Parts: sequence; structure tokens; C-alpha cells
Amino acid sequence: MSHPSPLICLYFQVHQPYRLRDLRITDIGKGEAHYFDDEKNRAIFRKVAEKCYLPANALILDLLKTYPQFSVSYCLSGVFLDQCEEYGTDVLDSFHALSATGKVEFVAETYYHSLSSLKSLEEFCTQVTMHTEKIEQLFGKRPTVLRNTELIYSNELAQVARLMGFKGILAEGADHILAGRSPNSPFVPPAFRLPRKAEALIRKHRPYPRAAKDIHVLLKNYRLSDDVAFRFSDRSWIGYPLLSETFTDWLTASGGHSVNLFMDYETFGEHQWRETGIFDFLRSLPNLWEQRGIRAATPSDVIQMWGKKQTETFDAHQFISWADMERDLSAWQENLIQRSALDSLFALESLVKEVADPALTALWRTLQTSDHFYYMCTKYFSDGDVHKYFNPYDSPYEAYRRFSHAICDLRTRLEAKHSPS
Amino acid sequence: MDIHTLMFGWEYPPHHLGGLGVACQGLVQGLLGNGVQVTLVLPHPSNTAETADMHVITPTETLLKTVHVLSFLSPYDGHVQFRKRAANMPRELTEIYGADLPQAVLHFTAMSVEMTKDTNPDIVHCHDWMTYGAAAQAAAYHDVPLVAHIHATELDRTHFHPNEWIFAAERRGLLAADRIIAVSNYTKQILTTHYGIAPDKISVVHNGSATCTDTRPPVIASQAGEGRPPMILFLGRLTIQKGPMQFLDMAAKVHQLRPDVQFIMAGEGGMIGEIMRRACELRLENVVAFAGKVSNDEAERLYRQASCFVMPSLSEPFGLVALEAIAHGTPAIISKQSGVSEVVGHAFKVDFWDTEKMADCALTILRDAPLAQQLTSEAPRVLQHLTWINQASQVRSIYQDLIQ
Repeated sequence: MSHPSPLICLYFQVHQPYRLRDLRITDIGKGEAHYFDDEKNRAIFRKVAEKCYLPANALILDLLKTYPQFSVSYCLSGVFLDQCEEYGTDVLDSFHALSATGKVEFVAETYYHSLSSLKSLEEFCTQVTMHTEKIEQLFGKRPTVLRNTELIYSNELAQVARLMGFKGILAEGADHILAGRSPNSPFVPPAFRLPRKAEALIRKHRPYPRAAKDIHVLLKNYRLSDDVAFRFSDRSWIGYPLLSETFTDWLTASGGHSVNLFMDYETFGEHQWRETGIFDFLRSLPNLWEQRGIRAATPSDVIQMWGKKQTETFDAHQFISWADMERDLSAWQENLIQRSALDSLFALESLVKEVADPALTALWRTLQTSDHFYYMCTKYFSDGDVHKYFNPYDSPYEAYRRFSHAICDLRTRLEAKHSPS
Repeated sequence: MDIHTLMFGWEYPPHHLGGLGVACQGLVQGLLGNGVQVTLVLPHPSNTAETADMHVITPTETLLKTVHVLSFLSPYDGHVQFRKRAANMPRELTEIYGADLPQAVLHFTAMSVEMTKDTNPDIVHCHDWMTYGAAAQAAAYHDVPLVAHIHATELDRTHFHPNEWIFAAERRGLLAADRIIAVSNYTKQILTTHYGIAPDKISVVHNGSATCTDTRPPVIASQAGEGRPPMILFLGRLTIQKGPMQFLDMAAKVHQLRPDVQFIMAGEGGMIGEIMRRACELRLENVVAFAGKVSNDEAERLYRQASCFVMPSLSEPFGLVALEAIAHGTPAIISKQSGVSEVVGHAFKVDFWDTEKMADCALTILRDAPLAQQLTSEAPRVLQHLTWINQASQVRSIYQDLIQ
């Protein structure tokens, strides 16, 4: 008798940043400077909508309706939802249609897909609360599982999430922490108290009236996730071409409670083009799973079905993330300009809060989006690979130049409001 | 396999005007380091008898022989410059070598082929158009493959207004070559687009850097300038190719917001009068200084003193000077129309015509200390990979490929 098949937990990250326009030093302090490249942001949003969001949502909707055992989960960043309102209500409508099936779970995150968790507990809690409220307002259900930006995670963050009232949190199945254990079981973070001041702060800024008793960590099975997200169309990969039968065999063989497949939604149609057969691959999976008695589950299903079995500890003393081979913060906070940019931004926090101007606060928060810092990454330059990172700008230095001008301008605007004289 | 290359050069340090001589020396030393035997033929203006003989120049370079061919050719010559120089020659010399450029080149070609008849090379390798005729004849004589190395095209030098005779000579040489080495993808693009050369005949080998990384602690002039005002540096021949006018436009824009900033233009060239006039028109006479041609030591001091280095070239096949600035820890703003921008990551890259953005980048470097610091400390790392030993080993592979 073979082992029962694991659950399959599909989770897709859906996010678009507001890219900056070519700001100039001469724009600073004029009071009117617009920071974002509306034209480019609209063009990219529409391109990805046509290639990915709309066709992928149509396919998923069809699958949800056809296969009773199929379900999925999404995290739609707040800045993505804002762009939906600006550039694509058709995209938002298609997510509403998915939500109406009752088989989709929406996961919480910081509204601005931000790096606030690295700099300010209060800001982090506020943005998570903003996001949960937005999701509830749009889809009628308050998220119970949290995913921090790009799976940035630590023990402390798990406790913060628990105190905010979340029952689950997503993280990368980092090898050095798993130390040989399978990522396919839920884990718990080590139990400890946060400083009293921090706990008080969380109580003040959380989406739920009380803390959750327990929190489970669901870990990304990065090998199987990346087989689809990164390697699907790689002709030099030994697994090419990946057939749904083979992949399902691998899922079953992987065993455990649930195989957590976490990836960017843009995998479908944008990172892997339609011509690679990625949509056909996705379409064929639920049918195959149904034949083989495999069922899909959302993160909260996975946790619920885990019950009270004995659970191992996932001990992340230091920050981990799903970025790069390093799976740490280095994609956003490795070099001097990245760190200086984030420091300068959070140096404005108290001024932003004193001034309390909604428009300036929103600008400040939009600048916290992780992508701005990612575009400044120079990690692989020393390998002679100048173009390894995806970047809408010419170079990391161009990214920094625009960002630095935006901060300078925001500072002058805040100061002008603070002491108008 | 021992390889012997017969190389036709233009200039060689210490007698050099520009990057070609430096690159040529780097490549020769890199080839020697890769075990390639080199015989180097150079036009030589000196009128002494011994230079016409083959001899070993330094005891350490045992594989290198140089052949000096008496000639009045000078690198970066055009018809006008050559005629100016020829006008000052003693009459008997102009009678021998010809009073115009085509004649001088023909003479150089005939002489150098004659003088290298006994060298018995495996391959002939030549640098830029003046040597193509000589090299093509030598390759035919020895019945060996011909490699043409492109450091600059006539289109780069003239901002796409070529002298037709030079352009035609270049194209003939390029078509005759069995393989072309371009110093950048940028140059490869020009060769395929404007000269109609098949792309698969062109290999790109970026120049190496001869300059060692400056190991002294970095000085950020804007912060630790010892009371001196911040300074922005231009270093290059004052010719249209190098973008001196764009530098001035940029300077004027920086000056508007930061009147404390000084600008130094180092280098000499035909445009000096025009440039000075323009500087006065822009009311920059008190902030722009002209340093003339500078020695290596002076250049080093300028690099270290500068808050940033700007290379606004209109069309720059490579741009070794940017690597030199980087080696000295100077934050660099480089033209996108350059080969060096393909290998340098830690720098601002701007279209040469966008002087407003160039100014904006300079002002950002002056304003943000962490940015300047990062450019200073990170940019030189590229030089560890981009050595002449590494680059010459690519050239050696090309030789091997052709000889087999």
C-alpha cells in the first residue's frame, strides 16, 4: 500500500511596482513633481494583463469550475490592486470571478509590497492591516495567512504575525534551516516573547482583535516550484520538456503533508511564454490529479488539515527570503546605495507621521516597495554579468538616481508642510 | 603550439598619442605572456639608421622583436594634419616619403613588407587602417591568415563624416582580413551596419586594463578635498570624437546649480580655440581650466582630485581612459556610445547628446556621498577580470582557430 498523496498548495504572487520616471534634480522642491512613470507603468500592466493575468485567470476559473478538488491561493499586493483600478478593471473583475467560486484564498501582505519589516514594526503592522482591510473590502473575506514581501521571514516576524492574529505565514524552504528535513510539513517558529513595547505596538496596529494562539509556517518547496517557474522552458535542463505526468509523479514522490508550490503569477504567460506550452501544462494538471486522487488545498486548508500533529520547529534566526541562490536580503540590501536609500527613506518616518498628510504619506509608502531596491542591485557585477538582474531602468545607478531625487523632493515637501514659513 | 605573429602597429609607448598605443602595448605584452612570439612593425618618425634594424627592445621581452620603418605617419592622421606636418619637413624627406597622406602610406606599406620578408610568421595581425595595406601584402607573401584589429573606425573619428579615401582603405582592409577583432560590440555593430562586414567574421575582444588598481585609500574629493572645490574632469584629445562641446554644455548646467564646482579639460587637439570660445560664451571662463597634454603622473593626480570623470564621446570604440579613471577610484559618467560601457557596471551611462542628464548624474554624485563611495570602491573590481593576459588569451585562441 503506497503512502497517501500529499496535498498540493498552489500560491501565486501578483504584484506590480510603480516604476519611477526620469526625475531630475531641477524637479526637486518645485512642489508639483510627479514621481512615477505613468506611461510605462500602464504599458507594462497592460502587457502583463494580456499575456498573463487575463488568460491565466480565465484558465484557472475554468479549472476551478470543472474540478471540485482544485483550489488556489493568491496574494495581490495593494499597489497591484491600485494599478488595477487605474489601468485595468477587467483584471480586477476576473479576480472577482475567481473569488466568487469560493475556492480561492487571498493571502495578506504589506499593502505596498514594502521592506517595512526591516525598518519599522509600526509601519509594517499598519501596512498589513491596510492590506487585509482592502482584501476584505474587495473579496468579502479577511485573510488569515500572511506572506511578507518576497517571502522575507524570520522567527521574530513569525511572532509578530501571530500577535497580529494570523494563523499561518509563508516562507522559503531554505536548505540551511531545514537541515535535511522535508519542506512538505507545516512547521512552527520557536516560541518566545517580544519586548513589551513591541507587543503593545502590535496590539495597536493589528487587523484582528487578538493574537492567534499558534502560527504555522508553510514552506515553499523550491525545487518543484522552480521546475515550473524557472526551468519549464529551459532546453538545457535535463527535465525538459516537462510533462504534467512527470511533474505529478515528482509531486507524489515528494510526499509529506503538502507540496507547497509558490511562484510569481507571471510565470504563466510572461516569464514562460504561451508558446512554451505553460498554459497547456497548467490545464492538464487538475485532471491528472483528480484521476490519481490528489487534491489541491489553500494555505489555511493545509494548516487546518494538519490538525494538532506533532510539529517541528523552523528556526530562522536571520532573515531569509526567496530571492536568488543566497535566499537572504542581499537582493535589496547588499550594496551601499541600497542601504543608504532605505535608511534615508525611513529617516523621514517621524516627519511623515507628524505631518500626517495623506498624499505625502502614500508617496512615502510607495517608495518603500521592494522593487525600487531590487533595481539597485549590483550583486553579480563582479562576475562580469552586468545585465543579470531584470531592471526597467538602464542600470542600478539610474535606479538610485531617480529614487534619490524622489526622496530629496519628498523631504522638502514634508519640511515645507511641517514648518510653513 | 608555438605561434609567431607578425604585427603591424601604429604607435607604441612611450611615443604615443592615444589609447591605440596603450592597447597595442597591452596586447603585445599579453600575447608574450601567453607564449606567443611577436614581431612588431612600427612607423617611426626618427631619422636614425639603427631604428631600421630589428632589435630586441627590452631584455625581459625576449619573444618580442620590433621593426621600425622610417615614416612620417602618425596615428590619428588625417589629410590636413599630415599636410601641416609635411610642410615643415626638409624638402629631401618629403621627396622620399611623399607630401601627402596616401603616398606616405604607400611608402610605409612597401617598406614594411620588404623589411619583414625573412620573419616567417604563422599569422599577420594589424591595427587600424594605416597598416592594412602592409599587412595584407605581408599575409599574401607569407601565405598566412590575416587578422585586422579595429581600435577605431574613420566613422568614430569624424562623427560619421568620413574621409572617403580613408573609409575605402579601411573597408578594403577589413574585407581582405580572414578575421576581424573589434574592441567592442559597439564597434562590431558599426562594422556590420556601415562597412557591410559579415557579423560571423568579427570577434569581439574588449581591451584590457594595463593600469593596476590604485591601492591607496580612496579619496572622495568632494568630501576630503582639502578645502579645494569639487572638480569634474575631462581627459582626451580635443577633437569632435571625444565630445568636448558636450562636456562644456554639461558643465554649464552643473554650474547653474553648483557654482562652486570647477572643471578641468586635459588634452590637446585642433578644437582648442573653438572650445575656449564656447566656454566664454557659456560664461564658464572662471570655472573651466585647460590643462593641455598631461603626463601619466599629472593624469593620475587629476583622477584622484576629481569628484567625477566624464567621458562624453560621440562614438568611442572602447575608451581606455574610462578604465584609467575607474582604476584611480574616480566615479565615472560615460557615454553610452562607447565600448567600455559594455564592461563597466559601476558607472553612469548616458547618451552623449543628453548633456542635461549628464549634469544630473554629476550633481547626484556630488550630493550623495554613499553613491560616490560605492562607485569609488566597487568600479575597480572589473579590472581584476579585464587584464591583458586574459584578453590576449582570447586573441591567441583566435590565432589557433585560424591556423588550424
